[in-house]
Amino acid sequence: MRMTDETTTPSPPGTSGDPAVEVTALRQRYGEFEAVRGISFTVRPGELFALLGTNGAGKTTTMEVLEGFRPAGGGSVRVLGLDPYAQRRRLRPRIGIMLQEGGFLGDLTVAETVAAWQGMAADVGHEPLPGAIELVGLADKAKTRVRQLSGGQKRRLDLALAVVSRPEVLFLDEPTTGMDPEARRDTWTVIGSLKAAGTTILLTTHYLEEAERLADHLAIMHRGEIHSAGTVDEVVADAGDRITFRLPVQPETLRARPGGDLPFLAGTAPTLTYTDGSATVTYTLPGTSSGSPPNGSPGPGTDVPPAARAHAALATLFAWAAGHDLTLERLEVRRGTLEDAFLRVVGEAR
Amino acid sequence: MTGALPYRPDDQRSGPQGRLLQSAPPPASSTSSVRTSRLAWLRADALHAIRLARIDLTLLGRNQTALFNVLLLPLLVGWLFTATGAPRGRIEGVPAEIYVLTGLPALMLGFAVFVNLVNTFTARREELVLKRLRGGQASPAAILGGSALGALAVFLGQIALLALWITRVEDGPLPANIPLLLVGALLGVAVFALLAAAFSGLTPNAELAQIAVLPVLLVILLAAPLFGPLEALPEPLRVAASVLPVTPVLDIMRTAYLGGGKDLADQWLSSLPSMGLLLAWIALAALAARFLFRWDPRRG
Repeated sequence: MRMTDETTTPSPPGTSGDPAVEVTALRQRYGEFEAVRGISFTVRPGELFALLGTNGAGKTTTMEVLEGFRPAGGGSVRVLGLDPYAQRRRLRPRIGIMLQEGGFLGDLTVAETVAAWQGMAADVGHEPLPGAIELVGLADKAKTRVRQLSGGQKRRLDLALAVVSRPEVLFLDEPTTGMDPEARRDTWTVIGSLKAAGTTILLTTHYLEEAERLADHLAIMHRGEIHSAGTVDEVVADAGDRITFRLPVQPETLRARPGGDLPFLAGTAPTLTYTDGSATVTYTLPGTSSGSPPNGSPGPGTDVPPAARAHAALATLFAWAAGHDLTLERLEVRRGTLEDAFLRVVGEAR
Repeated sequence: MTGALPYRPDDQRSGPQGRLLQSAPPPASSTSSVRTSRLAWLRADALHAIRLARIDLTLLGRNQTALFNVLLLPLLVGWLFTATGAPRGRIEGVPAEIYVLTGLPALMLGFAVFVNLVNTFTARREELVLKRLRGGQASPAAILGGSALGALAVFLGQIALLALWITRVEDGPLPANIPLLLVGALLGVAVFALLAAAFSGLTPNAELAQIAVLPVLLVILLAAPLFGPLEALPEPLRVAASVLPVTPVLDIMRTAYLGGGKDLADQWLSSLPSMGLLLAWIALAALAARFLFRWDPRRG
């Protein structure tokens, strides 16, 4: 984690320096099971922060502490400078919550449900957001009883209820789960416009594309810990670049020659996959967070800055290929993806 | 509905960015203090409770089975306790039928308020409705109070039906002291709504809630001076009835309805001990609710 990077980054103009959400060494346990194991992160005003993780990673537990449903088991959390549990009463009018599931009164219509929530916002002196039903694209369902909505439609109603009080901080727990691709895209547009209006948004998701598309900053959570955090670019850089090519000869033939073994690149050993008699070689170069190579044997190239590692590795590789008079077929260099970073977090911890 | 309520005196807006979504934030007056915010919270609680009670009544109107039960109950018990083998003659100088009927509202509390609310709280907890409401603007007190308020409205409607039965079918009088009747209903609903909140915390699901309430209903039905004064009950029941909350509600309501040969001031004065007992029960039930009530579903 490089949380220090974030705190030293100057705030965007127009925002105060105080974070909208601040989590410090949060711990949360249910009986013997420790769901959250000392996580820290900061969300600045007006930014969208995504908590990415598998099911059971501790995302929802973290959200519930921030939403004031339960006190922090250890460490501290602040939302808009307030303790969300002890100062719930003062905080509640300023935040909007989209829960992960259910909880509607099934016999009310969509319009009645939204009107009830608008009324409750008005009761605390917030001018409710008009057109919340249209905003989430449920206008044609306004007179439908809530129990007759599909799963995706219920998620959209949930979003409408969360924004109806014009919250300063919006918590979205898996906002697009159960939606078809079109509804998901529409919801992304809505979330984007809320963010453009200045709302601070903290969302959880297990859709990588969602985090990649929406998040200013994200954190990958696994088994109660944050394993990687930063901007999308920073987290992706964690994944390291990949070099792939096909060997024109059999590896056994190569090995028979002196010095014929495939080289280590940036301290990384190659992975070979065999298909139809030919071998495909893949190198996953170490990412930004890896000081030493994963296999422990320090090799040339690890002192090279991460952004230049692919270049240095290719130079080594070409020199080796030239030395053996080989042509690397279908050579491909690509940057790591968020999926690579995610799978690496999940895989490492396994 | 544009709010001019100085609801959040210590709000510090995060900056100009927030304005688009938060158009027209309430003007935070510089003189606002903690006291005004407490007042504003009370006001918001009351508004939320009324709003939630109205939603409950709307939902009741849409549930034909529940609506039928609510309307049928007072008429059915009225018929059951008077037209069939109930006592004849006069009790404490009042025609027996009318004496019994004026005591019935207290027993109906068990069904209309207690059972009803245990079911509502348990079902809504399991369906995550309570959690959603708690995540919204309403405070816990407003959420529970809203349901209690809805139950009070239903209960008053049932009393009105029973009064209709008393005047039309039994040729009885109209209530003598309606304000006292309302106070009795309010205190009774408060006790049983809080007990319902406590009991719902003990019940894992709506099906088991039906069973969990049975012992309470049995006590309510047996240990109540319905067919005569408290002294007429057999010893163990008399002791139970003298401390349980049904008796004071019943006393207040019967006094309020029949007058008991007293003037208005005397009706209030003679009801004071009953009110004291009910206030003690409210404190006790609130304590139980505080420890037993649950917002989240029981898992596993």
